[in-house]
Amino acid sequence: MQRILRAAFVSLVPVALVGLGAPALVSNGDGEDSGPAAAAPTDLAVDERPGRYPFYWTRAIYSSGSSGGFYGWGRRESWATDFPKSDRQFVTVLKRLVEIDVWDGENAVRLDDPILRHFPLLYMVEVGYMDLGDSEVEGLRSYLEAGGFLIVDDFWGAREWAVFQENMGRVLPDKPIVDLPLEHPIFSTFYDIEEVKQVPARGRGIPGGPPAAECRGCEPTVRGIFDDDGRLMVVINWNTDLGDAWEWAEDPRYPLEYSTYAYQMGANMIVYAMSH
Amino acid sequence: MNTVFEFLFKYRPLVFEQGDFTLAASGSARIWIGVAAVAAIAVTASYTYARGRSTPVERGIMAALRVGLVLLLAFALLQPTLVVSTVVPQQNFVGVLIDDSRSMSLTDGAEEPRSAFVDAELAPGDGSLVDALSERFVLRYFRFSDVARRINDFGELDFSGPRTNLASALDLARQELSGVPLSGLVVVSDGADTGDRPITEALTPLQAAQVPVYTVGLGEEVIEPDIEVGRIEVPRTVLEGTTVMVDVVVTQHGMGSGSVPVIVEDDQRILTEETIELGEDGDPVVARVGFQLDRAGPRRVRFRIPPQPGERVERNNAREVLIEVRGDREKILYFEGEPRFEVKFTRRAVEDDENLQLVILQRTAESKFLRLSVTDSTELRFGFPTSREELYRYRALVLGSVEASHFTHNQLTMIADFVSERGGSLLFLGGRSAFAEGGWAGTPVEEVMPVTLGEPAGGPDGFFSEVRVRPTPAGLAHPTVQLDTPLDEVAERWDSLPPLTIVNPVTGTKPGATTLLAGESPDLASDQVVLAFHRYGRGKAAAFTVQDSWLWQMHADVPVEDRSHQAFWQQMLRWLLDGVPTPVAASLDRERVDPGTALRLTAAVADSSYIEVNDASVLARVTTPTGAIEEVPLSWTVERDGQYETEFRPSEVGDYEVEIVAERGGEVLGSGTTHFRAGPGDDEYFDAGRRTSLLERIADETGGQSYTPRSVASLPDDIAVTGAGVTLVEERDLWDMPAIFLAMLLLMAAEWSFRRLRGLV
Repeated sequence: MQRILRAAFVSLVPVALVGLGAPALVSNGDGEDSGPAAAAPTDLAVDERPGRYPFYWTRAIYSSGSSGGFYGWGRRESWATDFPKSDRQFVTVLKRLVEIDVWDGENAVRLDDPILRHFPLLYMVEVGYMDLGDSEVEGLRSYLEAGGFLIVDDFWGAREWAVFQENMGRVLPDKPIVDLPLEHPIFSTFYDIEEVKQVPARGRGIPGGPPAAECRGCEPTVRGIFDDDGRLMVVINWNTDLGDAWEWAEDPRYPLEYSTYAYQMGANMIVYAMSH
Repeated sequence: MNTVFEFLFKYRPLVFEQGDFTLAASGSARIWIGVAAVAAIAVTASYTYARGRSTPVERGIMAALRVGLVLLLAFALLQPTLVVSTVVPQQNFVGVLIDDSRSMSLTDGAEEPRSAFVDAELAPGDGSLVDALSERFVLRYFRFSDVARRINDFGELDFSGPRTNLASALDLARQELSGVPLSGLVVVSDGADTGDRPITEALTPLQAAQVPVYTVGLGEEVIEPDIEVGRIEVPRTVLEGTTVMVDVVVTQHGMGSGSVPVIVEDDQRILTEETIELGEDGDPVVARVGFQLDRAGPRRVRFRIPPQPGERVERNNAREVLIEVRGDREKILYFEGEPRFEVKFTRRAVEDDENLQLVILQRTAESKFLRLSVTDSTELRFGFPTSREELYRYRALVLGSVEASHFTHNQLTMIADFVSERGGSLLFLGGRSAFAEGGWAGTPVEEVMPVTLGEPAGGPDGFFSEVRVRPTPAGLAHPTVQLDTPLDEVAERWDSLPPLTIVNPVTGTKPGATTLLAGESPDLASDQVVLAFHRYGRGKAAAFTVQDSWLWQMHADVPVEDRSHQAFWQQMLRWLLDGVPTPVAASLDRERVDPGTALRLTAAVADSSYIEVNDASVLARVTTPTGAIEEVPLSWTVERDGQYETEFRPSEVGDYEVEIVAERGGEVLGSGTTHFRAGPGDDEYFDAGRRTSLLERIADETGGQSYTPRSVASLPDDIAVTGAGVTLVEERDLWDMPAIFLAMLLLMAAEWSFRRLRGLV
């Protein structure tokens, strides 16, 4: 399987490097400003109508706080981390691994945009910096209650966890966050995953570089939130960075072990979310 | 009219119909009379040449009147006679069949019940009908309702029979009296036949034996004021929780306009209530009611209209039907060619449903499948079933977005046979690899589809459009479209649902298919067929051509608590399961039977591949109301493969359970269960007006006559001249008919009056 993945990554390198040809489907909701130009969504979406494809890899646009750190300086919003390259490469590889008809472009949508309901699967990163407005809280809550599925990724350590937990507490009060054991079907829906790995950011994963973990003593954990009927509606990848592996899988220096895991986990989460 | 006729011509028209006309005068007398008449006519005619004050025309008229008089006299002198064959008194038998059913207790508009006629006319007494009959015939009496039997005493009549079986009554009387000279049968009844045998079966032997039947119709043809609930047609078995749509036909007579409630009850529990406007006098109106049965087992569902003020018959305001509610968990296979949110949301819609096991087989990569809700680890281990036995385990099949080329030719044939031979249901969903776009045209499965396939949508991006879905008139009456909404709000609910999308332009249906949902698309010249179905072989096939019904759950315009999507899929899948046969199916010829009456138990037996089995050992275990178990073997009927039958006569009153088990070579092929109730029903109170047309038909086809209580007095005389048996020839004079003398007087008076008017006297 690793060989297949490697072949997939190598073949997509030119696409990834150019990485600009793909169109985008982006929300133009009435919420707050979506952030600076570095990660600004384009308006190429006007030609695309949701529904043409069975699946749109959709990234959540949310409000970030000003609690300091990299994202607080205003260089860009935390939702846009690795955007759009990570999304494009993930979709490209996903189509080769899974028999799925996916919209080729990136698709970023605001949490309070009604169009979000057309995309029952949502990807959200760097949630340690989120600071949801009331409309976003309401939008995400109704999205999940209606049957939407949320994948959370790329946040580290206790401080960021606390921020995420506080925000999710507003979205889904009284809904506990629990560890997902390896026996959970999400680890075997498409690939059999026997170990939860800590996927490092690009610079950290390279041999000889800094430690893989972005914080001391951080253990990679997959957690979840279930609805009242016991259905998983949020899967949380904490102390790991799947998105970076999707983004940099074609880099020959990036360890195949992590990119393989990231794509396997990504495929599993999508197949699971589209069938459960 | 008959009385006037009889006064003028001495005898009733019936005698003239039956008799042969002749002139009794001898040959020589005829000659002399003829000569005399000619001479008289000649003499009279010569009068026209007489001279006097009269004109030739006047003389001609008077001569004609006189000639007419002479001819009438000559006719009388020739002794006209009617030769009639009449029965020999006391040499012949007449069977009197008396309706002993409950409908004879109805009073209609009179003070007395219909049975009062029996007391008055059939009991010996002054001038009663039976006395008049007894003078000429030997009488034999029979009572009949559901069964018929000979009686000797009218005290045996109690007018409480649960049904009226005219055919069996006529059969019995004919057979019992076949050894004696039989002049005819007299049927005293309201004619409200509720038997299950066609009357023709009884009339043909009577015609062959030349036994006339005389009917005496009792009661009014129309009972009013009255409201009646018509016969109810419901599915015999449904899955627990299924929405059942029923048309209740209501007819009123003499109630005027207005509205009445139709209440549907299950064991005193009101399931639903609909108000309907009554139609014109005698015009049936249809009330559509929808309800869910959520308790497994045999359910007796009652449809009733509360008694209205002044109603004559209240017991015809309610109908009760038996519906077997299955509490099983039934398997449906949903094969999806790719990960799609339809799978997720369809599963969610039915996951709480304990009666539906939606087994998912989803292709996630080439030759890689995700299996969900399977019974065990071996189920669908190698993907889509490759044998009939494996596929036929499922009662319904849903095909999602999967191209036809995924299947082998054998599998495609098997899918078609799944519907036509196994009797399963097949639902096609829209998607990029469905319908024409999936290469299904030209495959054996295309024939099964209820829609027609055009050319695949071209272009690099294919076809894509939005449709706003709305129910058709047929859809509004269909359980899949109700969305668990009150009937009058269904259309409104559909209007509130967001539009969906299609990638398969489908605008045509096969002949005989029914479109339940349609959708307007800006990219299509005609409406998209969104949901259509038809019967195919033993099963049914449906097409649901949209690709994202999950939007009815997820769309921002749909409140989170809205259950439309869930209701649609639960009812859709339940409807697919309705009527799907099992290898062994038990059925009865009726759901209510009177104790002591035979009931036919039938079993349809097939193996796991649904091939009929004729060498099975089939046994019915009948559990009586008191818990006793009786075992009755069933025999192959020979006429039809896989069909076994037997008769059973319940002796106790109450509810029975019938479990039929089929075995072959020690291996159990399957079993089926059904129920019935032994006890009196209310059949007699429905359509209980006098059935004049039936009574007249019986009489006409056998050479008899039909009567009412008013005209029945002539019955004995009529039988005397029309009946069969031992007869003699009787000559009846006609020369002294008052009509001849009246005519003579008329002619004479006419001539005299003419003379007076013209001054010729």
